[in-house]
Amino acid sequence: MITCARVRVLLEAYVDGDMAAADAARVRAHLSTCADCRRQHDQAISLPFRLRALSSPAPRPSLVGEVMQAVGAERAGYSSSWTLLVPETVLAAFILWYLSGLDGLSSIASGVFGDLLSLGSGSLPHVPPVDVVLLVALIALMVVAAFHLSILVRLTPRVAHE
Amino acid sequence: MDAGAATQPLPVTDSSRAHALASGELVREARGGDLDAFEELVRRLQRRVYGFAFQHLRDPHEAHDLTQEIFVKLYRNLGRYDAGRPFEPWFWTLATNTTINYRRKRVPLPSEPGEEAADPGTTPQAHDPALVEALAQLDPSYRVPVLLHYYADLSLEQVAAALSLSVPAVKSRLHRARGVLRNSLADAEELGRP
Repeated sequence: MITCARVRVLLEAYVDGDMAAADAARVRAHLSTCADCRRQHDQAISLPFRLRALSSPAPRPSLVGEVMQAVGAERAGYSSSWTLLVPETVLAAFILWYLSGLDGLSSIASGVFGDLLSLGSGSLPHVPPVDVVLLVALIALMVVAAFHLSILVRLTPRVAHE
Repeated sequence: MDAGAATQPLPVTDSSRAHALASGELVREARGGDLDAFEELVRRLQRRVYGFAFQHLRDPHEAHDLTQEIFVKLYRNLGRYDAGRPFEPWFWTLATNTTINYRRKRVPLPSEPGEEAADPGTTPQAHDPALVEALAQLDPSYRVPVLLHYYADLSLEQVAAALSLSVPAVKSRLHRARGVLRNSLADAEELGRP
């Protein structure tokens, strides 16, 4: 014997046919004798149709235009974010120029190398402090630019652009 | 269901080429940066997306904002879409996540009236108000699968993919949700009876 409470829990599965044949037979037998559960069964049958027939108001006619405007702003923002790389590049070029290009860098490197070799003999490195500061600034700038570039590259496939 | 199956073609577009394309093709073109194709895609999806948002929020203004947010997110994430897979489940996953986050950020639950509650004067009358009311009282974890399956017309498999659930879990939620809705409707009927 199956109770009304149990039948009502099983009604949706019964309506969808997601139930073992024996259970379905028990529910069917109960429905044939219980008017209240039959009413619930009728509701259970009609509910999916009522849900499918739910209507919503139409979207505003301006919706598509507003979306395209927002998308256009995204594209503009994305394009302009590349321009942030310009000052970083200019600064890096300036520092490189100040350090006399590769010659300057190689002389610093050889100086540092020589100083490191002489550390054992007790003498201190003799690299000009301004060059060291600029070299550190250059490295920091390169790290920032690389980080910045990696973000932009990551964004590239997400934002379609011409 | 693929991208072309469930979208509704709506009139008016400034690109006859985009208008003639199937939805799957539109997505591919939009991924390549074709804004006309993206616009046509938005036109075709707007009714269902807006309806989905409206059934969630029951406020035309909020639904409009959310719909816009969903489409902007779609644009941002087009590059992540795997063209070898069906578009609709992927898209509805994005729409569902955006909706959940939007609710979390901005809108009180319909059962919790607050400052942002819809002005009854501006909310259109539903043709099945008892069901709309019952749906609004449903927990979002049950309402979302119901709307995706019965309203957005996604198959059980697609709902499962969109919500990262198994098909039996989706079925179970739908059964449970319909049971709750049925009880709410029965209660409303009892109350309305003289």
